[in-house]
Amino acid sequence: MKKTVFLGLFLMIGLVLFAQEKKAQQFPSVDIKTLDGKAFNTKDITNEGKPIIVSLWATWCKPCLAELMAIDDLYEDWVEETGVKLYAISIDDPKTASRVAPFVNGKGWEFTVLLDQNWDLKRALNIVDIPFLCILNGDGEIVWQHTSYAPGSEYEVFEIVKKIANGEPIE
Amino acid sequence: MKQIKLVITLLFLFAVGMGYAQNSGHISGDVCFNGMFYIPDSLIGAEKVESKVRANSWLNLNYNNGGFTLGARYEFYQAPLIDFEKIGYKGQGITHYFADYKTDLLQVTVGTFYEQFGSGLSFRAYEDRQLGIDNSLLGARFRVNPYKGIAVKGVWGIERNNFDFDYTKRSDMIRGVDGEVSLDQIFEKLQEKGFSLAIGGSFVSKFEKSTEYQGFIPPEKVPQNVGLHAYRINFGYKRFRLEAEMASKINDPNLTNDFIYKKGEALLVTTTYSQKGFGVSASFIRADNMDFRSQRNISATTPILGINYIPAINRQYSYQLLGNYSYASQPNNQIGFQGQVNYQIPKKSKLGGKYGTDLTFNYSRFHTIEQIPVEEALSLGTPSGTDGYTSSFFKFGKDLLYQDIGFDVTKKINADWKLMLGYNYIDYNLLILQGHGELAHIHHITSEVTYRINRKHALRGELHALFTKQDMGDWIYGMLEYSISPNWFFSVGDQYNYGNQAEAMRIHYYNFSVAYVVGATRIAANFGKTKEGILCIGGVCRAVPASYGFGLNITTKF
Repeated sequence: MKKTVFLGLFLMIGLVLFAQEKKAQQFPSVDIKTLDGKAFNTKDITNEGKPIIVSLWATWCKPCLAELMAIDDLYEDWVEETGVKLYAISIDDPKTASRVAPFVNGKGWEFTVLLDQNWDLKRALNIVDIPFLCILNGDGEIVWQHTSYAPGSEYEVFEIVKKIANGEPIE
Repeated sequence: MKQIKLVITLLFLFAVGMGYAQNSGHISGDVCFNGMFYIPDSLIGAEKVESKVRANSWLNLNYNNGGFTLGARYEFYQAPLIDFEKIGYKGQGITHYFADYKTDLLQVTVGTFYEQFGSGLSFRAYEDRQLGIDNSLLGARFRVNPYKGIAVKGVWGIERNNFDFDYTKRSDMIRGVDGEVSLDQIFEKLQEKGFSLAIGGSFVSKFEKSTEYQGFIPPEKVPQNVGLHAYRINFGYKRFRLEAEMASKINDPNLTNDFIYKKGEALLVTTTYSQKGFGVSASFIRADNMDFRSQRNISATTPILGINYIPAINRQYSYQLLGNYSYASQPNNQIGFQGQVNYQIPKKSKLGGKYGTDLTFNYSRFHTIEQIPVEEALSLGTPSGTDGYTSSFFKFGKDLLYQDIGFDVTKKINADWKLMLGYNYIDYNLLILQGHGELAHIHHITSEVTYRINRKHALRGELHALFTKQDMGDWIYGMLEYSISPNWFFSVGDQYNYGNQAEAMRIHYYNFSVAYVVGATRIAANFGKTKEGILCIGGVCRAVPASYGFGLNITTKF
């Protein structure tokens, strides 16, 4: 009985994954919080049809900070050129979550920072490790994603953002 | 419970089939394989293990269609990595399965779920795969937003206990409700004047049958219901914020508190002020008898069946050598504070340079609370069955648990070079936090350099040193990583215990690793030695046995 169900399940998933290969994932709708503790639904991650970068990070994750600091140095130019908006969603849990705001301000970041304290969004996005970065098109679909950070990968991110802003295909 | 699993599986099949037929809905998931081939090494204490090849693996699947989500996770930990085996995280099965429906007004979940009330002092069901913690609840959860600014949540379920899925044997159950009112969203005048104000409260109750003596307490006097209530406030005015939560637990004699009836109390306060380029935060915590579990007879050192979450509020470091001296939260007995200042010397200023310079200063100190035994306890020789002790609320106890004074500076010198330097002085109570030894006084120096060779190639080096006369003596750590963006990472590192008092124990713990990343897929291989120690994430710690061998780690999402 169990085996049959499993087999059916895997066949079905395989079939659907095959069929949906070209279909982009809509950014999930999950309730998280703003820095001042207000409820925020992630379907409200929007940017008037312009590209969006979503980064999942934490104050204790060094490569995450390296990536966000690298983007921070270029962000002004990126916004000017493409109108892109970056949402930096912290997965800091209750022990460090209240220190995210002073941390972010201390760094002088201009990103929109949100809190996913109990990892509801991290789970909905099936993220195993951070740093994780994804790019959404104007329709809120995840069109590109990347895990880990190597110095220089921010240039690749911006190449994708530019393509979306210009309405060019990504591949 | 088997029925729930089966129903959700069938629902999954049905929904996926329907979604496919209508060409709507989306499947996503992740797969992780974390394996290791163990080689015995008697010098570092890596024992010969029963099966040399071990792995932790899992598969998560989510199906989403509009407000409707179905999800399941299969975990295979039959021969898990030895540190997981040591804590009993061993087995296999569908460990997580749920159906969830969500609209703007409400959300209902049936199956297993994670949830957090406030800052977690009263209730937090969460997971940390690296630590082998998963205290999800099997049952039902609702969240309702009846009016803008008002949120109500309720949970009812049985807590997961590693891979023990025989729920017919369980008599314990958790029920909880939480409400929060965001006053500034109801009275918009407040918001216009720069105020934000939210208040909330929660009540969590644990039920567990009582059939036998607990310590000196006869079964009929062991409380079957234990209640915990908590209240919180979040206040903000312009750049200033205050967050506070206090919780109180009623009559919970259990193994971690030597079966006393004393009321449990916790208070957590954080204030912050920040503006561009400057942030300061100060936190205070007091936790007294607040270890709260689904079952009474769980030892404090076993990270299972926890209902609430008492955070370790010290600054978290991810430095290699300090890993052995991480502060572990003491839910039953701690009082302390933590303060931190972040400052950026402005960009394009004389001192700050073109990119600015980031400075961080940090100070934290934690003690045990004051405990004065009640008289009965003295005559009994063990506090079981009494109120145990009394404690004046704001008094620091005599034992220092942990102290950290730290300072670091990060500077991007030019487009190619980036530098970080840091220093910490730490006092660490080995006896209370790790069960052996004395108070260790530790000096720690951190340095990190990143050099961008060009747009794709970069070198990153770390050099850390730890000096102490106690415990294992002095250490040095060096690491070099070469990365080719965005796909390749190569690294080599060595931790050398050159200052160990026993000459034979002056060991090199070397490690070589290579990782290949494409999109959201990461494949990494490593070879090396891991020292015996403590792994702490989120203030929760567990012992890690020494190991030596070859590891392979694959993660992907789709």
